[in-house]
Amino acid sequence: MTNYFETKRIEVRYDRVLAVSNVSIHMQEGETIALIGANGSGKTSTLRAITGLTAISAGEIWFDGRRIDKMPSDAIVQAGVTMVPEGRHVFPLMSVKDNLLMGAFLRRDKAAVQETMQRVFTLFPRLKERLNQAAGTMSGGEQQMMVIGRALMAKPRLLILDEPSLGVAPLFVQEIARAIVNINKNEKVSVILVEQNSRMALRISTRAYVMSIGRVVVNDQSRRLLLDDRVQKAYLGEELQPIEDVGEGDDKGKLD
Amino acid sequence: MGQVLINGLYSGVQYALIALGLTLIFSLMNVMNFAHGQLYVLGGFVTYYVYGVLGLPFVVALLAAGITLAVVGLLFDILFFRKVLARSARDESTMLLATGTALLLDSLFIIFFGEKHRGVPTVISGVMRISNNIFLPYSRVLIIIISVAVIVFFILFMKYTRCGRGLRAMAQDREAAKLMGVNVDRYSMFGWALAAMLAGLAGAMLVSVSGVNSGLGTWLSIKAFIMVMIGGAGVISGAIIGGLMLGILESFGSSFLPGNQYLAIFIALIIFLAIRPRGLLGRQ
Repeated sequence: MTNYFETKRIEVRYDRVLAVSNVSIHMQEGETIALIGANGSGKTSTLRAITGLTAISAGEIWFDGRRIDKMPSDAIVQAGVTMVPEGRHVFPLMSVKDNLLMGAFLRRDKAAVQETMQRVFTLFPRLKERLNQAAGTMSGGEQQMMVIGRALMAKPRLLILDEPSLGVAPLFVQEIARAIVNINKNEKVSVILVEQNSRMALRISTRAYVMSIGRVVVNDQSRRLLLDDRVQKAYLGEELQPIEDVGEGDDKGKLD
Repeated sequence: MGQVLINGLYSGVQYALIALGLTLIFSLMNVMNFAHGQLYVLGGFVTYYVYGVLGLPFVVALLAAGITLAVVGLLFDILFFRKVLARSARDESTMLLATGTALLLDSLFIIFFGEKHRGVPTVISGVMRISNNIFLPYSRVLIIIISVAVIVFFILFMKYTRCGRGLRAMAQDREAAKLMGVNVDRYSMFGWALAAMLAGLAGAMLVSVSGVNSGLGTWLSIKAFIMVMIGGAGVISGAIIGGLMLGILESFGSSFLPGNQYLAIFIALIIFLAIRPRGLLGRQ
């Protein structure tokens, strides 16, 4: 069976430093897979390669029967692969509405874009209340919801989320996890989830790849990894710290 | 007093056009374009030839200046800035490149246009009488109207069109813009064309009143930087306010401290920047 999405032994170098080596990941349509591992294990570099932000120095990347590793990032978005980058990267001075519209930058059908926006509001009702607020003034959790919404505006078939729980209050992490499951199940979007918060990622994915120093070291069913003490200890750090809220707090949103 | 203010506003709206172009390039590309004044001078010369020498209507000259400069802006990006930015992200590299480009243009102007100060016949004659002692020639009224129209058009374009949204997104977060599908190379080119076009239109209008000569470029680049420093770099409203303020300061300076107006402006600027280094509306 051919894979819906696949990286074949890809390698990423920054000058002479090898960041990712021999990484092969594959998934079927409709799956949610997780990519976990400690800081600096090569997760983000892998994603940058998939989305065309960084060129790969060896290997191939395929999506839905097309080879995408030579494509520029805008063609990859057009092909149906959209990423929510680590650290959110909102357009801080633009309104929530304009941020969402940026997500639909390559879509010309205005009516269809409006329809997608309504679906995003159903998923994250909070965004509708904040529509005219400058995105940079929202809390970390709200910004995270907005950038997920922004990515959905492109109507992706494969959604890649890089550390969606980073810098987000625990209450929001639950909401975001629910939203990801919802997107996968109801919107029929395949998902690649990258997390340091491995517990959350393993709970909502079917399979997971554990990365360490630029390589995939373990590749198994998520529920089995969740129970595997050795994996937890060896690659993910002894204890899983509860995530801290480094967001700006809710009151910040009341500035406007 | 009213006359001085009116004169200041007249220069100010044109300055705002120049400052807009400079701030656009700065926010999109993080490039300090020291050759921006030269683009303005080129716009002036295009108008001189099309309107003054060939005798075609002023509107045609205005369009010719805008289009020529848009093309020059494109070439700036393709031939110079894109190549250097691809190799070096350091600010000094593009600053040196911009300075070199300014010198190149200055020399080309001397070779092709000569050293003479060139003027053109007035576009409209007559003087508008605003009150008993405030007068404004119609040629200047026309320039104010065109400048304001271009500024309004530019703001609406940036705010409400898909293309403007793409440019704003790119200025705020280049990588995120890429992830949304913005072709940043194409939009950089477009940004350069737009910025150069604004400078060219301003130059075209200036020549119709004050004339133009090959040596004006550097001085205008410096003025443009003063405006952007007053208003705050990378902010559209800052560029407009900076332009208007410099126009008014200049006008008051030349009537109260004739000959020394820029001495006063520079001293004031140094004190102002010591207190507020990011300018009136600048960020962070």
